[in-house]
Amino acid sequence: MASSPSALGNTVEAATAKIDKAAAIVTEPKEHEPYQAQNPIFEDHLLAPATVNSIEVHGANNTRRGLLDHLFKPIVEESVNPDTTLGDVLGRISKATQKLTRFGIFKEDGFGVFISDARQKQQEQFQSPTDRTELDVSIRVKEQSRLVFSAGTDFGNSEGSAYTNAVLRNIFGGAETLSVNAATGTRTRSAYNAVFSTPLNGNPDLRLALEGLRSSTQKPWASHDEHLTGGNLRLAWLTDNGDNHTLGYSGVWRQLTGLAASASPTVRADAGDSLKSSITHTFTRDRRDNPMLPQAGYLLRTVSELAGWGPLKGDVSFLKSEVEVSTAQALPLPGVSVGAGFRAGLLCPLPTGYSLTGASVAPSRINDRFQLGGPTDVRGFSLGGIGPHDGADSVGGDVFAAGSVNMLLPLPKAGPTSPLRLQLFANGGRLVALQGKKAAEGSLSLDSSAVASGMKSAVAELANGLPSIAAGFGLVYAHPVARFELNFSLPLVVRRGEEARKGLQVGVGINFL
Amino acid sequence: MATAAPVASPPRKWIHIPRPLQKLFDTFPLLAYDGNALPARAQSATFGDLPTLYVFSTEEAALLGAPSFNPSCLKWQTFLKLAGVKFQILPSTNHASPTGALPFILPKRSSPTDAPSPIPSSKFHEYALKFGTSSPPEVPALRLDAYQTLLDVPIRNAWLQALYRDPEYTDLLDRLYISPASSSFWVRGALRHQLRRAAESEILKTGPGGTASTALTLLVDEQAVYRAAVNALEALATLLSESNTGWFFGAETPTLFDASVFAYTHLMIKYMSDGKSERQGEEGSIFAERRLGNIVRRAGSGELGGHHRRLFELLWPVDSSTVFLTDKA
Repeated sequence: MASSPSALGNTVEAATAKIDKAAAIVTEPKEHEPYQAQNPIFEDHLLAPATVNSIEVHGANNTRRGLLDHLFKPIVEESVNPDTTLGDVLGRISKATQKLTRFGIFKEDGFGVFISDARQKQQEQFQSPTDRTELDVSIRVKEQSRLVFSAGTDFGNSEGSAYTNAVLRNIFGGAETLSVNAATGTRTRSAYNAVFSTPLNGNPDLRLALEGLRSSTQKPWASHDEHLTGGNLRLAWLTDNGDNHTLGYSGVWRQLTGLAASASPTVRADAGDSLKSSITHTFTRDRRDNPMLPQAGYLLRTVSELAGWGPLKGDVSFLKSEVEVSTAQALPLPGVSVGAGFRAGLLCPLPTGYSLTGASVAPSRINDRFQLGGPTDVRGFSLGGIGPHDGADSVGGDVFAAGSVNMLLPLPKAGPTSPLRLQLFANGGRLVALQGKKAAEGSLSLDSSAVASGMKSAVAELANGLPSIAAGFGLVYAHPVARFELNFSLPLVVRRGEEARKGLQVGVGINFL
Repeated sequence: MATAAPVASPPRKWIHIPRPLQKLFDTFPLLAYDGNALPARAQSATFGDLPTLYVFSTEEAALLGAPSFNPSCLKWQTFLKLAGVKFQILPSTNHASPTGALPFILPKRSSPTDAPSPIPSSKFHEYALKFGTSSPPEVPALRLDAYQTLLDVPIRNAWLQALYRDPEYTDLLDRLYISPASSSFWVRGALRHQLRRAAESEILKTGPGGTASTALTLLVDEQAVYRAAVNALEALATLLSESNTGWFFGAETPTLFDASVFAYTHLMIKYMSDGKSERQGEEGSIFAERRLGNIVRRAGSGELGGHHRRLFELLWPVDSSTVFLTDKA
């Protein structure tokens, strides 16, 4: 990059340094204040009029021109407007490069943005009608390998697994990705899936994904294995304020099989095949400062699923919705924070077909019902420890609510900067099954008019007596990959049949209550 | 590894819990309410004073105690009835079984939350002797084995061939096994394919054409399968004609072997007779040969048909020949 003799050039250089590694350094510029100006002189320069003369992208050899045009053409066109300032231009460029990183096809450390004064190159025909600066922008990127194999270990909620993964990136030059996965874990006997995902309209925040999957998972809390074979089509988008939406259709053939000898009659009754055909919408707003160890902010997530109704068909028909809120607040003492979480869900069986008042309604199956309890949700209970139990099997429920409060304290030696915390917590919840009148004797179906009143009384039952509660203390370690907890807890309130834990409990997961 | 790691409970020998800690644990929980009610779908499966026999059946048929449409389920259902065991029937699938195949019995619960151990069909004989009111006579093992093989190989193969492989009975197969499993076109297709493959490999394992062969449909010699079944049924008819009690091996009352024969003859007569078929006159002999129900009726001088009727009337007296005998499609 050539150095510029003018004062403006220096500023440009300073600004250039600033947006070098644009994605990492520049935080989201706001509409009217493109930069948090460090000093007034800098601010002045940012207000100087400027336009973009040209933008070059180097190193995107396998990427379609069209994809880049979507990002950068608007900058060139908009900055023709005489009102644009250097700040505007820089803000737009940084926004565009951030978008570019979100495609996930370029290396994060390979980004370089270089800005030079166009006048320098064109000194002969230099004729500036105004004192506007014309800029040549050159963006250097390094593409990630198009084919990547990886293997490793993974932590999900209450499950550890080993996986191998092959990713084919930027297949057609439009940031399309094909990812093929095989995994096996502590509870997953085997899982295979392949996802093809592509941004729509050159927008990394609007993606369409098509997935095929096949898996076999152990469900020890209900003495069976579940085999899944199916696929889904998802549309995911990120709104301007950072909210995540996913809307998808999925069709899954579920096979409940491999029952343990001790399996309860309830689980035996649900063994066999079913096809779930459903539309799901997920909304996530994550405003926490750190998902593993939140000290401030909040998380709001809702999941709504409609299965089997009308044209969806399939063997199960229900409306299921779930909401999760959690929040954290730092206290004036260093490293001390309090947090609270709440989750609730409702599963309402529907008649199949288009009618909402059909003659009979099939009650929910074990693989659709909610489970509650476990080291990552209501601590102090075993996995699926809360709610209706048939023998040793946790058979799940149709309505639930659970809440927790906790306080995180820094450990005396480690201090507030370490990812280690002492935790005090109390949490509790209630999981209730829908009851209803049978449509006919010996039949599995419910009378449809009974479903509404059954749902009402199930919701009312949530508040009948205290929820099942446990409290305790423990250690929290926030690793970037997952959060580890070791807690000592005792149950305060339980219901007969529920499996409370007295003593120590280990939790590994990403998403805790 | 990721789930809870119990340290405190239950107390084990090598972990000694200090007394004060044990005392603390004993005081918790502070409050215990009654248990949660089970989900609606579970209730018909979990209440009742009788042991439950899990078989292939339909909801309505199970409620009436009608014969199962699966040969091995029907065999044991018949035998348990012969032995005077009281039980209720629940329609189910192989996935529910501890052995991977129906039938099995779940004894009645001693308490509402107790999970009884299932009894696989291999132990039904003992179970029937223990809980039945009458014990069906035993048959000398040597003779039994020879005739049991007729049922286990040629007759079973013919049943498998007809139900699973004969396009004539695709509708029947769907109605009995495929449609109840799922309403989905794709799932049904996959299940049908799996069932057919399984039936083929079973036939090839034992049938004419011989040894277990991984190769293919084409190797199943349909004519040979039916011929073997005709011969086997003739042999059974002859055996029955030698008995003067009307039951096999001259037993005073029906035995397990009678139940085994009945399981096939009943299903063949019920589902594979062309008495009411529209396609009657079509190309006579070869077509008729494939109707297993007709073969059963014609074997010997009609002994098997008579045997079937006698046993059926003995066990399902009220509805004989009306509800359960005819296949109302």
